[in-house]
Amino acid sequence: MVKIDNAKLRNVTPKLHLQIDNRSGVPVYRQMMDQFKYYVAGGTLRPGDQIPSIRELAATLAVNPTTVVKAYTELEREGVIEKRHGKGAFIAQAATHLTKAEQEGALRRSAKQLAVEASQLHVPSPKVINVVREELNALDPERSTDGDPIMFTAVVGGNLN
Amino acid sequence: METVISARSLSKAFRNGTIALSNLNLRIAKGQVYGLIGRNGAGKTTVLRILMGLLRPDHGQSYVLGFNLSEASRHQRQRVAYLSQSQQLPDWMTMNDLVRYLAYFYESWDSDLLVQMVHRWELSRVDSISKMSVGKQRLAAIALALATRPEVLLLDEPAAGLDPIARRELNQAIIDALLNGDGCTILLSTHFLGDLERLATHVGIMDHGRIIAEGAVDDWQRTMRKVQVVFTEDRPPNGFEIPGALRSQTFGPVVTALARITDDSQMIGIRSLVGARVNIFPLSLEEMFLSLTLDEVVFGSV
Repeated sequence: MVKIDNAKLRNVTPKLHLQIDNRSGVPVYRQMMDQFKYYVAGGTLRPGDQIPSIRELAATLAVNPTTVVKAYTELEREGVIEKRHGKGAFIAQAATHLTKAEQEGALRRSAKQLAVEASQLHVPSPKVINVVREELNALDPERSTDGDPIMFTAVVGGNLN
Repeated sequence: METVISARSLSKAFRNGTIALSNLNLRIAKGQVYGLIGRNGAGKTTVLRILMGLLRPDHGQSYVLGFNLSEASRHQRQRVAYLSQSQQLPDWMTMNDLVRYLAYFYESWDSDLLVQMVHRWELSRVDSISKMSVGKQRLAAIALALATRPEVLLLDEPAAGLDPIARRELNQAIIDALLNGDGCTILLSTHFLGDLERLATHVGIMDHGRIIAEGAVDDWQRTMRKVQVVFTEDRPPNGFEIPGALRSQTFGPVVTALARITDDSQMIGIRSLVGARVNIFPLSLEEMFLSLTLDEVVFGSV
């Protein structure tokens, strides 16, 4: 049995909290990849930070280890993480600028979904834009509108089981 | 890849005439976690019982680790653990009694592992099994099965009757079995399809004694889509079909399909149709299962 040292896990990756949604239809390895990228884009994970081992992550999330291997292999191939022999896996130096593009991609995916729903409900575009602006303001009333990069937290699903 | 579990042309009819299996084929490679899903009565339990050598098929052969388990030696059978749906531990015995008994018979018995599970799941070692709740009895049976350190694990609806927390413990125990030593090959039947998305590498959908669809979970998730085409006319043009559709239905101007999209270019044709709006959505395993079994496109979960 794998013993999970929660304190150690927290030290390695502060605030790292991955969630898997079983009903989203998005492959689990993809959900994991997306969340690592969100965390890098949002600054929670920085270049050089160590990420959990395959065993740790498989055990804590109750996910098949081959799925974690797949997520890490893809992240490495994309240059988001790097493996150091015998030491584990770390966020790569180049990850931050890579994930900026990813950040926009993620935002665009959500926007696309919103657009589909709005179109199905026959909501006119100006109304949709207003709703988005209201939601943004509700999150952060002080929010400036001068083109700051948008910081968003990853809420991928919420159904842990 | 080394095949660990295989079944060839299995057929089985019961005395009352029920056809339990009809020409079923199955092949599971080392290290795979194969989820068998299907309605009650689809034949899942019969497959497992035949693989364990507890039931003789009318036709066909089955092998686990290269052996027909109905003829295998005790040593060979010990490499396989099976948890049946209705498994009742002798309820007058305590965990301590059962552990003494099993540790004596199993060469690969891992008492450290058992102690960890007993502790983690707060199972009493001195109360008789009959005093445990149904969920605890199930976890006790699972702990005993895993402590034999099996190379192959066959689980028949292990999550039935467990509360969500206990089910999570079970899932973690299954992952632990995969992480331990040389790993494990697992065949399990379940109705909890969400759990399979995390645990399984492969799934097979059974219906009326056959496997009607089978695949790698991530491949299905990558390629199976719900495609909805909404026409501005009253109805779709004559002969319209969504490419790659496995199941399809039309209500007025809306055509909905469960489609297998292996290549995005498949959709270029319909995307360029004038007067049609195309939406493509991912599908959960549950939606795939419902759509393939019920012969209609089911969207959303039960």
